[in-house]
Amino acid sequence: MAVGVIKIDRVSLKKAGGFMGINAMLKGLTVTGRHFFKNLFGWIVGKPQVFTVMFPEQDIAKPPSFRGMPVLVQMDSGKERCVACGLCEWACPVDCIHIEPGETEDAIERYPKVFDIDMGRCMYCGLCEEACPEEAIVMSSRIEIAAFTRAGTIWHKTDLLTPVDELPRRLDYVRRGYQR
Amino acid sequence: MADDPKNGSAAEQDALDLDFETMELKVGPSHPATHGTVRIQLKLDGERIVWSEVEVGYLHRGFEKECESGLYYQAFPYTDRLNYVSPMINNVGYALAVEKLFGVEVPPRCQYLRTIASEVSRMSDHFTCLGACALELGAFTAFLYGVEARELVWDIHDEMCGARVTCNYVRIGGISADVGPEFKAFVDEKLAQIAKLRKDFEDLLLSNPIFIERMENTGLLPKEQLIALGVTGPLLRAAGVPYDVRRAQPYLVYDKIDWDVPIGERGDNMDRFLIRINELNQSTRIIQQCVEQLPDGPVDLNDPHVRLAGKGRVYNKMEELIAQFKLVTEGPKPPVGEVYQAVEGGNGELGFYVVSDGSGSPYKLRARSPSFSNTAALTPMIQGQMLADVIPTFDMINMIGGECDR
Amino acid sequence: MAEEQKPAEAAEAPAPSGPASPILKRLVDGFGDKILSTHEFRGDATAIVDRGALIDVCKLLRDDPELAFDFLMDVTAVDYIGRVPRFEVVYHFYSLAKNHRVRIKVPLEEGDPKIPSVASLWPSADWLERETWDMYGVKFEGHPNLKRIYLYEEFEGHPLRKDYPKEKRQPLIGPGAVHKIPENDDLTI
Ligand code: SF4
Ligand code: SF4
Repeated sequence: MAVGVIKIDRVSLKKAGGFMGINAMLKGLTVTGRHFFKNLFGWIVGKPQVFTVMFPEQDIAKPPSFRGMPVLVQMDSGKERCVACGLCEWACPVDCIHIEPGETEDAIERYPKVFDIDMGRCMYCGLCEEACPEEAIVMSSRIEIAAFTRAGTIWHKTDLLTPVDELPRRLDYVRRGYQR
Repeated sequence: MADDPKNGSAAEQDALDLDFETMELKVGPSHPATHGTVRIQLKLDGERIVWSEVEVGYLHRGFEKECESGLYYQAFPYTDRLNYVSPMINNVGYALAVEKLFGVEVPPRCQYLRTIASEVSRMSDHFTCLGACALELGAFTAFLYGVEARELVWDIHDEMCGARVTCNYVRIGGISADVGPEFKAFVDEKLAQIAKLRKDFEDLLLSNPIFIERMENTGLLPKEQLIALGVTGPLLRAAGVPYDVRRAQPYLVYDKIDWDVPIGERGDNMDRFLIRINELNQSTRIIQQCVEQLPDGPVDLNDPHVRLAGKGRVYNKMEELIAQFKLVTEGPKPPVGEVYQAVEGGNGELGFYVVSDGSGSPYKLRARSPSFSNTAALTPMIQGQMLADVIPTFDMINMIGGECDR
Repeated sequence: MAEEQKPAEAAEAPAPSGPASPILKRLVDGFGDKILSTHEFRGDATAIVDRGALIDVCKLLRDDPELAFDFLMDVTAVDYIGRVPRFEVVYHFYSLAKNHRVRIKVPLEEGDPKIPSVASLWPSADWLERETWDMYGVKFEGHPNLKRIYLYEEFEGHPLRKDYPKEKRQPLIGPGAVHKIPENDDLTI
């Protein structure tokens, strides 16, 4: 295949403007007019054509790959899947995860006593999800983190736990790369 | 003045003296007529610039220090924030540099996807630059079309990696996730919408006499001087030098694809604008060919020292689990050595110089950013020009604070 | 993969029979023992040059029609703390006509980090050298305007040196400014 070199053409552009730019003016009016009437008509028939959405009443469609806030997966038993191995804590570039491991009598005996994520620092990079060997932390599509205090942006384990059936899209997406 | 009994000629003489007094004007760091945080100090003789100095550093965050204190894979989110309107190119450049250090090459499907990612990012960069230029020259509507097109470009980002700006897509030895089977249809649809908006954008601006007057013959610099100043990218190509890293030293699959390097002849702002418009066209061509030819196969390197194994294997196999622990906690460990890898960024040659001491974090990670060298050329470009020419010239330099100041 | 390549390099390094790359050969022929050593790792030609010969080497790089390095792409430094000599200034050159690259490194002693400026040969060195001065404290002698580029003049120390702690904070606008960082500054919560 070939990579060529081409010269750009700018002579014709100048001519295209016409006398005193009259052509350019008409062209511009056509373009903006078309957009205006398209939007207006869309509004009249109730199918808005405008590009923007009215957040937060409306939201854009998020693809399954969307990386929102990291959350903990809650199994059907109500327990978290996390075994407090600490890999996500290591992988996080900004050190915003804090884990204190504990032990129980269950079959999986390690669990996180404390699992905090400072959402004010988190940059939604997804490295924790990638590092986790248990599929216990995944990126959800939640994006609202506003809080009134600095401490309010720290999410504790109870806030982070999300039932597994609320995350099927993301889990399916993660599982796509299973056997690579 | 009234009680000063001077004759006419002396008053005229005084007026002339006044003329020779220059005015100092400071533009920025945050100024409505510029985008990017930079301060331009000017000395003006009337409308003419007699002296100027550019001050950068308002966005300095210690990129290199931050990367040197983390592991290799932890630097990816930081590279996103170099040139934040073309994040994927930075990802790709850094990954290629570390892979060069390792001496490995990723599978073909990954190379194609990385090429698509780079070109998508380049489109985003050019749309932002062109739109912002139009905005600052008074064409607000054109800016909106440019930004709308950029949103569509970012939809492709979103589909590939899950984020619109902070992509963190590429990994050492692979990419974060493969694309699904619907990807080709999705990209084709978005590209068609983008092409329509680009047509509107061009219709609004390219034959407009006011716009042409402001762009033509401003910011001129002969190509010898541009080369001496280390200017690369669209600025250099506009002056007629067909230097493009993708063509001169092909990486990824750029040598397997049909595309052209557009060059200008005069090297003024109009040429630069048209080069960028044309490169949007070339990027579209590259993306279309890449999705067409996208081969099947794995996207990640099957090497436990470089790339994490798939989750399915980590859950079920002991070795993979141990490798996962080792790779995450210690980081990939390239052999001792140093490499320089250049890629073509949105604004020119983006180079990564990585020094490894054999440990899991880079001993030295340096980004040669095109914006930095290009911004240094602003002073000679506006020397002796009119004040109003600063705006289009600065727009076409497309100084991105994150990349220039690191 | 990584393991396979290591022994190969170990075998390559001590062989002083002369570099393979024509660029390095040209340099070694022209300057003899002023070129302290050369190596080619992953195809990147590198020459380590004595400080005294830097300007002459650069002139040759730029003016020799065989080399024709018209681009000075990058200037930076590396701080090998604990090693003697401690600093290394690194130049990356590119030639448009020949489409090749070379890396020149100049070792500098810790107590005497001074090096002649190449800004008169390539104007692009102007800002790049200012940046290196700002970040590493390497003085470029003969530079037209050597002052800090990113940080402010009152900033103490050079942040990219390895002995500058990452967590260290300094007032944001120089001493005497009204804005002071409190002693027990805990921004994590
Ligand atoms: S998404 Fe990134 S920044 Fe946020 S907790 Fe996970 S690793 Fe840390
Ligand atoms: S990596 Fe997964 S299992 Fe380990 S502590 Fe983090 S969330 Fe829990």
